[in-house]
Amino acid sequence: MGLAGLSQVQRRQLVCFLFTLPALAIVFVFFLFPMLRALLFSFTNWDGIARTYRWIGLKNFQTVVSDSSFKQIVFNTLYLTIIYVPVLNVVALLLAVGVYNAGKAGNVYKAMLFFPNLLSMTVIGLIWNIIYRYNGLFNQFLKIVGLKVLVQDWLGQVNTVLPAMSVTIIWFAVGYYLLIYLAGLNTVPVEIYESAEVEGVSGWQKLVRITIPLIAPSITINAVLSTIGIVTLFDLPFVLTRGGPGFKSQTIAMHVYAYAFQQLRTSYALALAVILGAFAILITALQLRFLRRREEVIL
Amino acid sequence: MRSKRLLGFRRRSRVGVNVVMVLIVLLLIMPLWYVLNNAFKVEKEILRRPLVLLPSAATLDSVIRSFKAMKYPRVFMNSAIVFALSCALLISAGSLAAFGIAMAKSKLLNAVYVVLVAMITLPFQLAMVPLIFLLKGLRLMNSYLGTSLVYSGWFLPFVVFLYTGFIRTVPKELEEAGRVDGCGLFRSYRSIYIPLLKSITGTVLILRGVPIWNDLLVPIITISRATMSTLPLKLYSFIASSGSSATRWNLVFGSTFIVSVPILLVFLFLQRYFVRGVVAGAIKG
Repeated sequence: MGLAGLSQVQRRQLVCFLFTLPALAIVFVFFLFPMLRALLFSFTNWDGIARTYRWIGLKNFQTVVSDSSFKQIVFNTLYLTIIYVPVLNVVALLLAVGVYNAGKAGNVYKAMLFFPNLLSMTVIGLIWNIIYRYNGLFNQFLKIVGLKVLVQDWLGQVNTVLPAMSVTIIWFAVGYYLLIYLAGLNTVPVEIYESAEVEGVSGWQKLVRITIPLIAPSITINAVLSTIGIVTLFDLPFVLTRGGPGFKSQTIAMHVYAYAFQQLRTSYALALAVILGAFAILITALQLRFLRRREEVIL
Repeated sequence: MRSKRLLGFRRRSRVGVNVVMVLIVLLLIMPLWYVLNNAFKVEKEILRRPLVLLPSAATLDSVIRSFKAMKYPRVFMNSAIVFALSCALLISAGSLAAFGIAMAKSKLLNAVYVVLVAMITLPFQLAMVPLIFLLKGLRLMNSYLGTSLVYSGWFLPFVVFLYTGFIRTVPKELEEAGRVDGCGLFRSYRSIYIPLLKSITGTVLILRGVPIWNDLLVPIITISRATMSTLPLKLYSFIASSGSSATRWNLVFGSTFIVSVPILLVFLFLQRYFVRGVVAGAIKG
């Protein structure tokens, strides 16, 4: 047949192409195709069930954007991104420096700090929901260290729910980012520190002038990974607060779920999902650009 | 390990660093201790001494009751099947595709690869809604296969990326030598490359297998039948259904504990691999 007419190289390429088919088929059918449908149907009044639908332009987007909850969920998503990403990265880097400097015991610290990251976010959300209650562990801790004035219902109040949620997410995630920073630190040649010590450079200056520039690649990786992570995060905030009180801790990612599976408003869910996708792509692209450039300047 | 100079501090302050780190670590693992010790108490004792486990007060009562109420064996099996099926699909389809991409000197496949890599960061929520209607149409709701295919579609781009990166570091001569010996491409994939892929497969299991095991988002939309529930989904509905007004503390702690035990055991035995896997994945990414 046709195969016989192919050259050796062509036949080889054909076989290679066949090897990719199972994976490509799965990705196409169960990921790419639904995404393209979401993109297309977000401009229609498709409800998922009816066979007929018509093109309604930007109407879904207008409805979603003008909804009273929209400002809140965008604010929450931006808040989490802007607070979470820098704080997480600073904490993870400082802990990594601590683990690095701790000598042999460092391995134990590393394992313990990483462990929460392996637990299900459902477990984490449930535990911290209990910890943050009025008579919960967190408030008891505050009383013991003499901060009784701070005792409050952390997840039930409008102005404390997002900071409390950020603390939980950072607690959950920090071990993962710590490992990546630690790997970065281990690539820095020890001699640099030794000669800096001889010249009498202070500890803080060593961190800022030597360590941070030399581990710039790890910083880029972590910044991008943590941003994507927080923008699309669902399980942890969903179990911890279910977006409440009201919509005060609802994120865009959670609201897509709420539209689709709680309020059964398919076309709004699609429009918001498209907004979320655009947001995720934009942020990642901007960050990669900005951080890559900085890396070049520093190096 | 080589002797390390301190990054920011003089050597004699190593003791100081350790003191600070011990305090931080103790503070950070407090929530885990909170669950662990309360899982072995009766309700009254949980309320009276939330952070102290007196040996005289220790009991397996909460654990056993949660185990029964959650129908743990069945739910564990569901989780295990979804995990095994998803990982089998990710590893087999992912490594084969990566092998094809790495071996073919084809512009088309390189372009396909670039598209796959670009898809890694796309949020699952974008596909989620049409995906559910698709699963309904294919009668793949409430099914192990349907749930596993959802994970496969979502994670294959990343898995193919990991495997391709790895296979490209393997010297080409290996496959060429196989060809001289009369090995076809599939034979050399199976008998030369698969044995080499052990460590990268470990990375795949840690970076995507563990999140699948722990995930709530996919089962919460693909599984509605209680008998098909996975561990995280069961835990969520178990606690939600017991109601926050009349929370039974012993069941809350008992159930969170038994849901976390499998991963705890795996981590205790395979700790080194976890650390290595995370780092390997991140550096490639």
